[in-house]
Amino acid sequence: MTDARQPLLKVRDLKVTFGKGSHAVSAVAGVSFDVYEGETLGLVGESGCGKSTTGKALMRIVEPSSGSIELDGADLAGLKKGGRQLRNIRTRMQMIFQDPISSLNPRRRVKDIVAEPLDCWKTVTGHDRDVLVSDLLSKVGIDPAVYGNRYARQFSGGQCQRISIARSLAMRPKLLICDEMVSALDVSVQAQILNLLEDLKAEYGLTLLFIAHDLAVVKNVSDRVAVMYLGKICEIGPADALYEAPAHPYTKFLLGAALEADPDSPMNAQVLEGEPPSPMNPPSGCRFRTRCPNATEKCASEEPQPQEVAPGHQVSCHYPLSITRK
Amino acid sequence: MTDVSEKLLIVEDLSTTFATAGGPLPAVANISFDLGRNETIGIVGESGSGKTVLSRTIMGLQPRTNVSVTGSVLLDGNEMVGASEDFKRRLWGTEVAMVFQDPMTSLNPVMRIGKQIDEALRVRLGMSKQDAKARAIELLELVGIPSPVQRYKAYPGQLSGGMRQRVVIAIALACSPKLLMADEPTTGLDVTIQAQILNLLDELKERLHMSVVLVTHDLGVVATRTSRIVVMYAGRIVEIGATRDVFANHRMPYTRALLESSPKVSNASHTRLITIPGRPPNLLKLTQGCSFAPRCSYATDKCHQERPELQAADQPGHSFACWNPLPTTRGDSAT
Repeated sequence: MTDARQPLLKVRDLKVTFGKGSHAVSAVAGVSFDVYEGETLGLVGESGCGKSTTGKALMRIVEPSSGSIELDGADLAGLKKGGRQLRNIRTRMQMIFQDPISSLNPRRRVKDIVAEPLDCWKTVTGHDRDVLVSDLLSKVGIDPAVYGNRYARQFSGGQCQRISIARSLAMRPKLLICDEMVSALDVSVQAQILNLLEDLKAEYGLTLLFIAHDLAVVKNVSDRVAVMYLGKICEIGPADALYEAPAHPYTKFLLGAALEADPDSPMNAQVLEGEPPSPMNPPSGCRFRTRCPNATEKCASEEPQPQEVAPGHQVSCHYPLSITRK
Repeated sequence: MTDVSEKLLIVEDLSTTFATAGGPLPAVANISFDLGRNETIGIVGESGSGKTVLSRTIMGLQPRTNVSVTGSVLLDGNEMVGASEDFKRRLWGTEVAMVFQDPMTSLNPVMRIGKQIDEALRVRLGMSKQDAKARAIELLELVGIPSPVQRYKAYPGQLSGGMRQRVVIAIALACSPKLLMADEPTTGLDVTIQAQILNLLDELKERLHMSVVLVTHDLGVVATRTSRIVVMYAGRIVEIGATRDVFANHRMPYTRALLESSPKVSNASHTRLITIPGRPPNLLKLTQGCSFAPRCSYATDKCHQERPELQAADQPGHSFACWNPLPTTRGDSAT
């Protein structure tokens, strides 16, 4: 269903390496994916898998060491850092960060925080600017008349995240990169923010890259999901299909470890042993082979390439689990 | 240890109030529950619900000043409330031990992990250096740390978060406590590591015949690993009962809200979450009525004026605090 649509964001072989020589850590080791216009792509993985670095590299907050990032046909990766072209293109993509409180300046007033992008670009000024700011704040559920003049430090985590969302929408971006945007919030507040995000996505026609470690949260908001392990995408596919019948052994373990709030849910029979290897010294071949129960010599010698197991469902594994729908 | 029917922990009418610049802050108010031997109870609530203060009060770990604790905590027959530091110190380690949330900060970063385990053994059990070392290595093995002899000399910074949490558990288990308080033991850990740690706690509980208090904000953590659950809101118990009863036959609207607002892996993508408006109340500005009333869609005038006490539900041991409880005859599971 996604094939007919145009990819808004096209990422090819994106690599991010920190450090040099023997200390080099390849945090993102060649990641390729498309995000289609109007969809939400979820990016899940455990800590250290490179999901946040991928998000930041797309924004050029960290510098990619190689690869291409195309937003709407324009290549971002080649643009000069801090240059006008990059600044221009960034108005079309915005990022929302994990810690809502530290991502807002505690000593600024809420309406000034939301107005800052507008003031930078002078796209909307004067009375129109104030109207737009009030409108944005009401859209995220913050009454501008009551709270607009308050300082960011006077708000709770959930409210700060609402303000961050309002700020990110000020320039009417096409792509929103959400990096663990609800993981610091309590469940009741998290649910409010997730619903708000879905509403705004529809209203503003947004495309989302939703990065999170929480599998349930990711499934809830995503059309497609990509699973990352140690700097690479091991599986990508439609959310429901991927969760129902994971093709990569790692995805299966990850889903098995997720805890359902249901006393009748089966206790995870198989628990993944060990911990991810260091990205400073990744295993040869398939990166998951050191923990994979199905690994063979081929996995050590040959790196698996993405192969399609079902329409739109790709897996990088020499021995993908059989995709038999229940 | 032999008497199975006897309760290990009896908490009665426990309140912890902090004196703050804004007035008295009732972090924990009128909590009563008990815990049998070899039982795991879950304490669930959102941030600020008082679950951490409750577990620290049970341990006797409250600050020395600006706090008043009333009520009673009977731990294996020992009264913890009002006990002297010396008395409590004798119980820490052997009767009760705690696993804290953050394994990054609960270990001393400049002390080898082996020494941190030895410390408890030598100070509390008076072991010799050699015996303590041997026992520490045994403990490291018990909590599933590979090559314990080498790791004995490692510094916390050389271990991953999951491994560090295992070390923290090893320290807690060093003096074979009868009760293990685990305060968000897996928050901040990855899901696969979380599963490992929770399985480890389960296994150790059976092997060492301990009781466990599992404090968490995550309903998924308590769903399959506890026999009973306490749901806290604004410092009070709003519902308590057998895990299955609380999940399937909860009567308190807050419990339902908590269950319904958490996304589930089994839901189809783009499932609309059912939310409750607002956020937990400011404990300095609590009203006379039910603390949840301002967010509750069932609230009546009575809810705003009078606080509901815990009342018994149909199932034994299940009670809830609500004037307008949800009906009993509902589906078997909240989905």
